[in-house]
Amino acid sequence: MSSRIKNLFLLYFMILQNVCFANENIIEPQSLLVPFVNQQVSQDTISINGLGAIFKMRLHKWDDDTAVTVFVLKDDNPMHESFCKIILNVFPHQMRRVWDRLVYSGSGQAPIQLETKEEMIEKLSSTVGAIGYLRLSDVTDGIKVLQVLSGSSE
Amino acid sequence: MSRFIFQVERSLFLFYTGIFFCFFLLVSNLNAEEKSSFFKLPDSIQVHGFLSQGFLHTSDNNLFGHSDDNISVDFRELGLNTSWRVLPELQLAMQVVWRNAGQTDNQDLRIDYGVVNYNFFSSESTTLGVKAGRIPTPLGFYNETRDVASTRPSVLLPQSIYFDRNRNISYSADGGYFYGEQRSEYGDFDFTIGVVNPRTDDPSFKNGIVGNDLGNMVGHTSWVTRLNYEWQSGLVRLGISYADLNADYHPGNSSKFSRGSIRFKPLVFSAQYNAENWSLTAEYAYRKTELAGFGLFPNMGVAGESFYIQGIYKFTNYLEGLVRYDELSADKNDKKGDEYALRSMTGAPNYSRYAKDWTVGLRVKLFTDFLISAEYHRVNGTAWLSGLENDKSTTKYWDLYTLLISYSF
Repeated sequence: MSSRIKNLFLLYFMILQNVCFANENIIEPQSLLVPFVNQQVSQDTISINGLGAIFKMRLHKWDDDTAVTVFVLKDDNPMHESFCKIILNVFPHQMRRVWDRLVYSGSGQAPIQLETKEEMIEKLSSTVGAIGYLRLSDVTDGIKVLQVLSGSSE
Repeated sequence: MSRFIFQVERSLFLFYTGIFFCFFLLVSNLNAEEKSSFFKLPDSIQVHGFLSQGFLHTSDNNLFGHSDDNISVDFRELGLNTSWRVLPELQLAMQVVWRNAGQTDNQDLRIDYGVVNYNFFSSESTTLGVKAGRIPTPLGFYNETRDVASTRPSVLLPQSIYFDRNRNISYSADGGYFYGEQRSEYGDFDFTIGVVNPRTDDPSFKNGIVGNDLGNMVGHTSWVTRLNYEWQSGLVRLGISYADLNADYHPGNSSKFSRGSIRFKPLVFSAQYNAENWSLTAEYAYRKTELAGFGLFPNMGVAGESFYIQGIYKFTNYLEGLVRYDELSADKNDKKGDEYALRSMTGAPNYSRYAKDWTVGLRVKLFTDFLISAEYHRVNGTAWLSGLENDKSTTKYWDLYTLLISYSF
């Protein structure tokens, strides 16, 4: 094997390792991405269908009939990408298509898009009925984790 | 009499929705001016819009203006929509559009939709609701959002199913819909059914049937239904939609034609697979058209057939490519159009009864809101071209080049 190919292989493994590290980050609990809600939301748990319905802007009420307000980061934000793919099991561009279909057919609205994680924390803690996503380690006053129940809804 | 009442109701409805829109435009302007101070739109109100400019060139035949050996810039769309979630269960939405598409659109400002949407039941797994007003017609995958370049896969939607020459009549209609959605571990189901009165404001619609005869097309009671299924949040999407659209021709004083009726019944099957970097879409339509009572020509019923297969590959988040084959037969029992040409009194050629369109395209996304799309079409047949833009001297094989710049927010 020529040294050039060897080097390529080494590079490949280094990249692979980095990818694996990135995956380890997700497995490490504190950096896990989870849905967060405003502290005053009465609900502590939600089904995966329910969570999907909220982020796809098809469910607008919490269990106690209060209004849901959805916050997301930009489509190409890495946090948004992982939340869509890992938690909601949907590609970000698919999510965008779902929202575009609602907005441009007059049958719904898009979520409110924020620029930064800090803004997300601020909005979630100050908006009644708010939902968004953060890392577990971002927990602070005024917001709480919404636990996702596995299995089918209700 | 009942039709008269319906017309009055419709104009009242348009009037009120117009006022509603102006009010929100005002509110959103206030917002823009005073962004730095305290005033801000509540989270429950959203304003979105789009504008696009197309450039078309054809080797022969005309599409959206004078494009034959020329570059037509007559393809322009501008739209503004606003929605207000009044209550978690209640949403008002409206879209106003100005559109130019050569002689196939009137270039006026029109309300494309004005929808009152009420969810009377919703849970984590189920949503039930009703919509009323002027509502985008749920037909196939793309009809409801056909206005907006960013929701179309290409500059032109596959013309065999989404005729642009009859864009307004197929885009939205006045009436009411019931809808239900069920989310389960086996996938999501979405059903809708409605009774509507179609719009008839497409110049080509009347022209295609009675030419320039003095009279009006008036829509009347029609219905539309669709069932969609999505597996794994849209990894696989399947749909079936059907409509029974009705309109009457009301002749004028010196009309050559008598009062006729038009019945159009499209049945559309849709399927899509969405991987991370590519997607495959196919739709098939069976269209029955019935014309009766016009006098100058005998009553007739024709069944047409259309289908397309489309592949999209995302090279990066900002660049994607498209390949599509799209075929339209105006009469499935006369696919080559020979019988039609033989019987035609106006000398229409057989290739005016079909169109086979190979398309390749590239789309670049600039920043997040700008799109530049370029397409090349090689077309055999002229079945989806408008008679208003093309006289008898059409060409069977033709090339179409399109470039579209669009912005949406």
